[in-house]
Amino acid sequence: MVRQAHHNIVTLSLSKGDVWKRLLPSNSVDLNPMAILKNIKDLNLQKIREAKLYRRFASLKTSIVLLGILVGFYILGTIFPQGGELEEYIEAGGRFASLVVFFNLLNIFTTPGFLITALLLFINLFICTIERLFVLLNQGIAKTEDLQFIPTHIFPLEINPHLEDALEGVREVFKKDLGFREQSSDPEMLDIGTDTKIIEKGWSYKWLTWIYHLSILFCFLGFFLTYLFSFEDEITLRPGEETIIKPAAISRWNRSWGRKPRELNFRLALQEFITEYNQLPALDYPGDKLSRLAVGMGWRDPKYLLKNESYFPKDWKSRLKVINLSPKSVIGEGNQAVLEKTIEVNDPLFYQGVTFYQAAYKQNLKIQVDDNPILLETETGKELIVPGIEGTFIFGTIRTGALFKRDGTIEKIRPFADVSFIKKDSAGKSEIEKLGKLEQDGSLVVDSRRISLKEFKEASILSYRYDPGVPILWWSGVFVLLAMSLRVFGAWYRIIYRIEERKGIPHLLLKIRIKGLMADEERLIHRLKYSLRKMTEPIDLDTPV
Amino acid sequence: MSNLEAILSRDAYLLSIEIRLFWLVALFYGICLILYIIHLITKKTGHGRIGTNILWLTAITHAGLILLRTFEGQRAPFQTLYESLSWFAWSASITYLYVERKWKDVYLAGILVSALSMGACFYALLTRSPAVEPLSPPLQSYWFEWHVILAFLSYAVFVVSCSIEISYLAVKPSVKKGLKLEYGLNMHNLETFHRQSFRLALFGFPLLTFGIFSGAAWANDAWGRYWGWDPKETWSLITWTVFAMYLHSMSIPKWKEMPASLLNILGFICMLMTFIGVNWLARLLGIPSLHLYAM
Ligand code: HEM
Repeated sequence: MVRQAHHNIVTLSLSKGDVWKRLLPSNSVDLNPMAILKNIKDLNLQKIREAKLYRRFASLKTSIVLLGILVGFYILGTIFPQGGELEEYIEAGGRFASLVVFFNLLNIFTTPGFLITALLLFINLFICTIERLFVLLNQGIAKTEDLQFIPTHIFPLEINPHLEDALEGVREVFKKDLGFREQSSDPEMLDIGTDTKIIEKGWSYKWLTWIYHLSILFCFLGFFLTYLFSFEDEITLRPGEETIIKPAAISRWNRSWGRKPRELNFRLALQEFITEYNQLPALDYPGDKLSRLAVGMGWRDPKYLLKNESYFPKDWKSRLKVINLSPKSVIGEGNQAVLEKTIEVNDPLFYQGVTFYQAAYKQNLKIQVDDNPILLETETGKELIVPGIEGTFIFGTIRTGALFKRDGTIEKIRPFADVSFIKKDSAGKSEIEKLGKLEQDGSLVVDSRRISLKEFKEASILSYRYDPGVPILWWSGVFVLLAMSLRVFGAWYRIIYRIEERKGIPHLLLKIRIKGLMADEERLIHRLKYSLRKMTEPIDLDTPV
Repeated sequence: MSNLEAILSRDAYLLSIEIRLFWLVALFYGICLILYIIHLITKKTGHGRIGTNILWLTAITHAGLILLRTFEGQRAPFQTLYESLSWFAWSASITYLYVERKWKDVYLAGILVSALSMGACFYALLTRSPAVEPLSPPLQSYWFEWHVILAFLSYAVFVVSCSIEISYLAVKPSVKKGLKLEYGLNMHNLETFHRQSFRLALFGFPLLTFGIFSGAAWANDAWGRYWGWDPKETWSLITWTVFAMYLHSMSIPKWKEMPASLLNILGFICMLMTFIGVNWLARLLGIPSLHLYAM
């Protein structure tokens, strides 16, 4: 009867409540895990753990179902453009407008349906993680298959007629030759007899599994923090300018409390804005499939042409200075510059919880028409109407800064923009004509009018973001990856063995369990046979029964 | 000839060799596919064996091709879709060849693998520019590099896993009926063969996890936001979730069989959606996707 109860402990600590009662030392006061578990029991948590709803949440099937529901939401999220406006959606040919409005399909990842499912999965994972911890602290063996000792390999140990010697020899082999360690868990609880040993090798896969599930739990916390507390905005700065930072956006949390955005307690100055380009010779390579086949057959050669080279963005950088306004500023004193950093795409500035990114840049230019002293102002990429000329101009990005050439040399670019001209024909269809390069202080002639580029100014566009979820997400992500990789790619072995006398000869009976892709049962058996043979020379015992 | 022109004509020469070799490799994947199909129809081992030998040859040549591209670009050759498709095709084939060594005369899974490798190569050749171009600023990141290498490697592994799963489902009924050898499989080795598909999915899962993690880390550096729910990101999350469902159902006795198999195949379909379906779906529905330009 007692043994029966022990069964429950190891197999179904996930489901049988009164298992714990037997496990706990009755009058212990120390702080070992068992005692803590007892306290938990006294708090009547045991009842909760037995409740039906709780059991449902402790079930792996529930996780699969919840993950499946999430997949449904994700798919909807890829069908409907997230964050889009309803008008845009309808304009782009989107149907089901009323459904979209009703289910808020353009912001599906903030709908209660999605958030609640995510929350349920979180609870599910939380409960599973706790339950699993109980099992692990208990003794690490929880599967029914471990309970009956049905040996998978039997080796006769003929040289050692004495059971004691054989036992000692085998122990040595496992420990010294094969690197196993003995398990502290009590074999008696396993109903497999006291003379049965449990040994292990490699990182405990159960703890690894537990660690990465726990880390996933922390990832969820990171997502929640982001969801509640993050906000982002943009600032545009010209070189030499300095600005206070007052976000227009506010976190969900603060918004729900009716708070207003607050100015950050530092200022930002842009000292310099730098653009760099790579020289990109055009590749003369056909687009249509047959001609491409011709290149493949060697009937035609691809060529790089310098004539049609373009300037391919290499980098854009902002040299920033942070000016701390707080009198308690540790690094600087009072109103002084405290930090300088040149940021670029992929290398942001992190300061007081806020991260500044090089998002984009903007160029304003002044155009002179003939000798008119009044200059026309415009921005690159925008249409400009010049009085007296029918049609509109578009000035492309002004290339300026350094040009990195294919041969390794660096050249200073004489600033220029590619200019296009859009004209409507009689049918009202617009036609784009490429007018060519317009260099600074150079000119182009259109309809016998002279267009010159007189001046341009650049401004760096920085986005910034406050997101307290990132650090926790980062670290838990690293733990997920580490633990998961060790579990999956590593090797873990557990051997349960016993030495029995059969017909006067000691026999080693064992059962092996392996986990991890590197674990190789055959190799282990091979090495074991080799070591046992060494121990039992000269008698040959080639094949295990 | 100026120094610059000399460099450019060398570049063009290397590129022409690379393109021809790439066509050849694609063609040979096609030949393997045909041989595997003949094997499927005739049930003769010989065709399968020749198919596998040719696949080895192709994969070795393809490895040379990837090295050549590395030399041309002087950087890791995984950054444009043209390059990553090539990497995907190669890693799928090599993974398949690696696991196939262990079985005697089981070639069924080669069909899907060679078909996809061939498809990926032709897709790259016919629709992408092979120019060795510099990377735009957002793509200049180690995160991005590892993101592509490992995500595509995981895709390749999932392809092989799914091919085995499908082969298993296809031959299981007739093998279970008797002890007869069907395509090199019988009662004794069928389950070991099937187990390989689980092991591969298990192998691919941490890689995909890293793919998503590094993608998020990269997006966080480049765009200031680790997750934006754009369709490509979302599909990779779908793939990941479906494989998590698959791995979980493998530890539920009742779900280990059919439900798990279906989830594995579903995971493969989601994976296809992630790296080609997205663009197609996005175009179909007129959704702007950040990733569209990156590829
Ligand atoms: C986002 C959610 C989750 C992910 C990504 C995830 C991931 C995984 C993966 C990859 C495995 C297979 C690795 C292995 O065979 O050891 C696994 C196994 C497992 N997971 Fe999860 N899991 C998640 C949530 C959950 C939840 C909510 C539960 C609780 C019910 C759970 C319980 C388990 C169990 C019991 C195993 C089997 C471990 C074993 O073989 O001993 N997981 N999980």
